[in-house]
Amino acid sequence: MSADDGLVIAAEQLVYRYPGQVEPALCGVDLRLVHGQAVGLLGPNGSGKSTLINLLIGLRTPQGGRVHHAGGREPVVAWVPQEYAFYPDLSCRENLHFFASMLDLPAIEATRRVEAAMASCMLHEFADRRARHCSGGVRRRLNLSIGLLQQPDVLLLDEPTVGVDPQTRAFLLERVRELVRAGTAVLYATHYMEEVSAVCSHILLLDHGRVLASGDLATLLHGPEGSAPFDHLEALFMHYTQRPLRD
Amino acid sequence: MSRFMHRLKQVVRLAAKEWKLLLRNPHGLAVLFLMPAVFVLVMSFTLKNTLVARVELPTTGWVLEDSIPAAAQWAGEWLARHGGQRFASRGELQVALKARRVEAGVIVRDPWMGKDGRPRGEQLEMWLGNRVQPAAAARLRAELMFSTLQVQMKIAAAEAGPFASILLGSAASAELLPAQGAPAIRYLYEIESGRTMTAVQQSVPAWLIFGMFFVVIPIAGVLIQERNDGTLTRLATFGVSPGVVLGGKLLAFMLLNWVQLAFMLLVGRWLVPQLGGDALHLDIAPGWFLLMVATTSAAAVSLALLIAARTRSFDHAAALGGGLNVVLGAIAGVMVPRMLMPPTLQTVSEWSPMGWALDGMQSVFLGDPDAAHILPRAGLLLGFAAVCLLLSWRPIRNQEYAN
Repeated sequence: MSADDGLVIAAEQLVYRYPGQVEPALCGVDLRLVHGQAVGLLGPNGSGKSTLINLLIGLRTPQGGRVHHAGGREPVVAWVPQEYAFYPDLSCRENLHFFASMLDLPAIEATRRVEAAMASCMLHEFADRRARHCSGGVRRRLNLSIGLLQQPDVLLLDEPTVGVDPQTRAFLLERVRELVRAGTAVLYATHYMEEVSAVCSHILLLDHGRVLASGDLATLLHGPEGSAPFDHLEALFMHYTQRPLRD
Repeated sequence: MSRFMHRLKQVVRLAAKEWKLLLRNPHGLAVLFLMPAVFVLVMSFTLKNTLVARVELPTTGWVLEDSIPAAAQWAGEWLARHGGQRFASRGELQVALKARRVEAGVIVRDPWMGKDGRPRGEQLEMWLGNRVQPAAAARLRAELMFSTLQVQMKIAAAEAGPFASILLGSAASAELLPAQGAPAIRYLYEIESGRTMTAVQQSVPAWLIFGMFFVVIPIAGVLIQERNDGTLTRLATFGVSPGVVLGGKLLAFMLLNWVQLAFMLLVGRWLVPQLGGDALHLDIAPGWFLLMVATTSAAAVSLALLIAARTRSFDHAAALGGGLNVVLGAIAGVMVPRMLMPPTLQTVSEWSPMGWALDGMQSVFLGDPDAAHILPRAGLLLGFAAVCLLLSWRPIRNQEYAN
């Protein structure tokens, strides 16, 4: 596929083994992230999802394969972790200003991005409240808004809705859909199948560091040739990963 | 150049964030400011008597079990000179000691006089209330021995006749050795600086150093939270390198050490005298002073970073850092001045980071500092800081890049 197909970043045959481990955490994983497309990253605990995200952010270097981007400038990759990765004793606004100040931006642009991120995640009401004193839903929104400060070409979301109420979940999913519509390439790692169905057009299913299924979600739901289609994504997931508990 | 400036801005903004977090952490502020200030106050008054040549005699109660007139006359002369009171029995004296009506007791056992007709020192018994300082007890003991000796000499002089009395002269007089007649005591630092040693001059540098090393508490609190919540990793995705993270923390907490310094100087100079203690002298060599503060600060912050980087939880870091600081402080002579330590421990205390800091800082505060004394200690502190930073670099790098 060429850059004209909207490719932003691609991983090819990634291999990664943690020091002291016999089994590789990732083995021969391919992934393509395209402008305006969300890919659901699925897999049981320990399947290699977080390792793949770390390789895409550039925090780890693969021992095999490569991560590359298409075209001219290097894409901006933002990461929204599962944890509340900010300072609980700073207010929402202070957190956003602090992270914006870490970017190489003029002060006016940094302030503009903070305001835009707060507006996007509806944080103005809580702007001056310390993050520690905000509800779980507000903290999730703050976590996402910090990622948006980078105005990313690629957004890596790691379980962005854990522990939130249905209203906040719906809000967050709608924000992600908006980002995709605006052209952002999204990788959405989660255990909630209905969220993937609601947001993603493609999936990558991992287990034991290997790709079990990958591609267009609608096509995959039709099932392998000669077998019945899957009723829903969870049936597809269980079909490929099997029943036994993983941890 | 612009990349360098961007990194520099990141360092400054990270440092500003550390200050903001610290100002919202009352427990951290208490550990860094209140704790050493309280120690300075307590120790400045506690050591006041230990560090002066003259110690006050404790108020004394007397019990005369020997009823001879010479004993009554001797006790009467003592009470007239030093004050105190007589008690009829050991039981009454014990009650008075417990009620703190007197601080010490002297029991003149029967027979006070030996077969040679001279008073015997071993027939005196000294009782001490639980709060009498050892130095005051030692002075009471010395005064009693000397007074007994005077009585012996007076008796000997009376027996020898008029000629011997002339020879013995005032030594056999009724007067006890007056304090102004005692040899003058001067420590080396007093000879060098021309100032009298005071407890506050000893306590301020000692507890300042102790407080500076306690930056481990706020540093560990933030760094461990940053690591466990993935904030360090997130910073990496914002283009913040581990070196910048370390630089921001070094800048923030080394500046904080200077604020601690200003606060402690204020306590010593203003608060201690307000409460009746001696004022801290500040006519100190500024160059050596700044060098010692800067190198001590570098060692304190680097050790704190190492502990924070190598521990898994805040509880772990607080226990290890706090415990280590107390041990280092005890070894270095922060809690108990070195002059009160046995010689072996004094040697050991010269080989610890707080010991190097205290050596250099005390020479600045108490004496006449020079390059030969200050530079080796400043060098050791800088070397210690460099080793700590090297050892903390790898875990911080791994923590930032391995969520």
